[in-house]
Amino acid sequence: MAQELQSINLVAPAFKGINTEDSALAQDPSFAEVADNAVIDQRGRIAARKGLSVTTTNKTVLGSGKIRAIKEFKNDAATTKVFSVGNNKIISGTTTLVDETPGSYSISADDWKMVNFNNSIYFFQRGYAPLIYNTIASGTSGGANTDVVLLSSVNSASGVTSAIYGNEVLAAYGRLWTADFAADKSTIYWSDLLSGHKWNGGSSGSIDISKVWPDGYDEIVALSAHNNFLIVFGKRSIVVYSGADNPATMALQDTVAGVGCISRDTVQHTGLDVLFLSQTGLKSFGRTIQEKSMPISNLSGTITKDIIRLLTTETEDFKSVYHPEENFYLVTFIGQDVTLCFDIRGTLDDGSYRATRWPGTSFTSYVRQDNGDLLIGSALGIGKYSGYLDNNLEYRFKYSSPELTFGDAAKLKFLKKLRPTIVGGSGALVFLSWTYDFKESSGSTTYTLASQSTAEFNVDEFNIGQFSTGEFTSRIPVNTSGSGGTLAINMEADINGKELSLQEINVLALMGRTI
Amino acid sequence: MADWWKFWEDGEGAETALGGSIAAAGLALANQGYDRLGDIGDKAYARMSGKFSDTGELLTPGLAQELQGMMEFQPYTVTTATGGEFGMAPGESTVDAAGNVVPGEMNYQLDLSEKEKLFQDAQLGRAESMFGLASVDPAAREQQVFQRMMDSINPQRERERLALEERLQGQGRLGVQTSMFGGTPEGLAMAKAQEEAYSKNMLGAMEFAGQEQQRQAQLGSGMLASSYIPQSQLLNAVQPGMTAAEQRRQAISEQTQSYGETYATGLEALLQAAYGQANIAGGIGSSMTTAALGSLFS
Repeated sequence: MAQELQSINLVAPAFKGINTEDSALAQDPSFAEVADNAVIDQRGRIAARKGLSVTTTNKTVLGSGKIRAIKEFKNDAATTKVFSVGNNKIISGTTTLVDETPGSYSISADDWKMVNFNNSIYFFQRGYAPLIYNTIASGTSGGANTDVVLLSSVNSASGVTSAIYGNEVLAAYGRLWTADFAADKSTIYWSDLLSGHKWNGGSSGSIDISKVWPDGYDEIVALSAHNNFLIVFGKRSIVVYSGADNPATMALQDTVAGVGCISRDTVQHTGLDVLFLSQTGLKSFGRTIQEKSMPISNLSGTITKDIIRLLTTETEDFKSVYHPEENFYLVTFIGQDVTLCFDIRGTLDDGSYRATRWPGTSFTSYVRQDNGDLLIGSALGIGKYSGYLDNNLEYRFKYSSPELTFGDAAKLKFLKKLRPTIVGGSGALVFLSWTYDFKESSGSTTYTLASQSTAEFNVDEFNIGQFSTGEFTSRIPVNTSGSGGTLAINMEADINGKELSLQEINVLALMGRTI
Repeated sequence: MADWWKFWEDGEGAETALGGSIAAAGLALANQGYDRLGDIGDKAYARMSGKFSDTGELLTPGLAQELQGMMEFQPYTVTTATGGEFGMAPGESTVDAAGNVVPGEMNYQLDLSEKEKLFQDAQLGRAESMFGLASVDPAAREQQVFQRMMDSINPQRERERLALEERLQGQGRLGVQTSMFGGTPEGLAMAKAQEEAYSKNMLGAMEFAGQEQQRQAQLGSGMLASSYIPQSQLLNAVQPGMTAAEQRRQAISEQTQSYGETYATGLEALLQAAYGQANIAGGIGSSMTTAALGSLFS
């Protein structure tokens, strides 16, 4: 007897992001097996990320290098200057990149960290004499300089010796803090109050926390200031000091063993929390403090194994950014050219952020400007996170559902029709595929979304206005074939200048016999 | 003078023979009186000064010798209740080159009892020891006292240091180094307090050592003084003894004086009697002589 055709709606598929931790079978269709170059848009749909709009027009100084770090310098005089590093140079500018490296200053690595402090921007990298750029004459910053200069060369600089050539620098509580030295992984130095160029005398000092690590030994990776705490991230543990506004008397507030930070540049503040990438995924320090030594909520619980795999094979470095306007935290595994995007607007039931993946972007650094722009560094120079093209090239959005059983994995399904509801993506080529029983068999089809036409209104000789109809939605049905116990639906689309989001997928299937 | 009457003896007449006889008798009588006075004088001299041979040897002692014996110093000894003794005795008399007898010097003898002597020796030994201690270089003692003071507070210092260390470790601040304080403010405060205690103890040790030496000197002086207490007490005890002896001597002296005066009075009475007798004899003889001579020449 013929079975009734069942209509199953997958509403807002993948709006919970990727989940590779739970069983692929009988998984919530709100998760995705794959969500590449995707974000969760403002309506909670999986959507294509924005592209890279390259600003740089002259990257001669960068050569074949990549922008490894970007920082926007601002001072009280409203001077703004974007500094970046790459090709073993200190660079400024976003359109024409200008070499700002001090004369006769030799650099062979681009692992700089830049911080703004007291009308100056400071450059720190392990084993290198720190640099400073400051355009305002001030007794507390060593005077004005029109160029990036050695910190030790400014007026009244003191104590700027190799002992403070740290890889991590933090501007907090009215002073600079530095740590992670070539031969000393447990000492933190702090400068004199309001004087980032004075590292001895005054209220400067240091603390050796080698006896403080909760598991006996660790190495400082990063520093952070949060909630009047000085947070010291080790590789496998965290040490928290309170009262850091007076470093001579600051006291140990808490220690967390078993959770550390894998890279200085993965630490980001979200206002409420401090996010950082640990060896087991993305963690939140705010929650860590609340829960103390209790199990820590894993913000990347749905992709933990993926992150661990990426971490174990990463050969270069990590860069991250928190962008409140886009509501995401990005962390890029540069050596593998993979960026993970965590939507921070809310968490799933297990406390995880919704995660998507951006492979092959070639992004190598980020900074959020005060105006809300997200600047992205790459081999192309500096660009903005805007538009839907990567340096005028299309990129591919991918979605794969988990294995769907429609309530009964034991029954054969005959997929008859798929009808994805796609918002936007005008003129985009869509590749739709379906696979049965974990890709034992499959079928696919492609189609091109209709181009959104514009209407000409009030046509006359001199004034032609063009208007579109707003958000373009397509619901193109696709006939399908084959059968199987489980079904996975995959969709790919080349993003070519238009935003695209997947609203829902309507599945028409015939339920068959029991397998 | 013994020859003046020879004129008489050589008389020149019969008429004058009677007169001469009478005169001679008178002269003889006067001469007798005269001789008697001489005898009385000799006798008085002999009784008062003693009778000496021509060579000067004392043949018969007189009052002087008797009084000399009676007035001679009587040795005596004072013995205290604790056994100390004070003795006074004349030494042996000697004869000098001129043959004069030189009386022996007086010997004064102070003897403590055995216990007192032991006490005195012990105190002198202690005093010597104290003076010895008081005269050594104080630096070594200062160091010794300081070390003892530090030894007494070192456990507490160590406990405080450990407590601070533990507190700093508990606060994760053990590795703090600051330009303002060197280490931590608490560490500086403790180091400062310890240094102050160190300095205070050092000064205290110096002060103590000085005071101790003063005390030792005072103790030595006290012991030295106390070592002479038995002797002093003995001397104090001698005074009443000497007073008693003096009283006795005075009594003897007075007795002797009385004896001498009585003796002299008796002798004087005897002499007066003899003198009277001599005067009578002399007077009679003189009268007879005058009368005989008067009739002879009238």
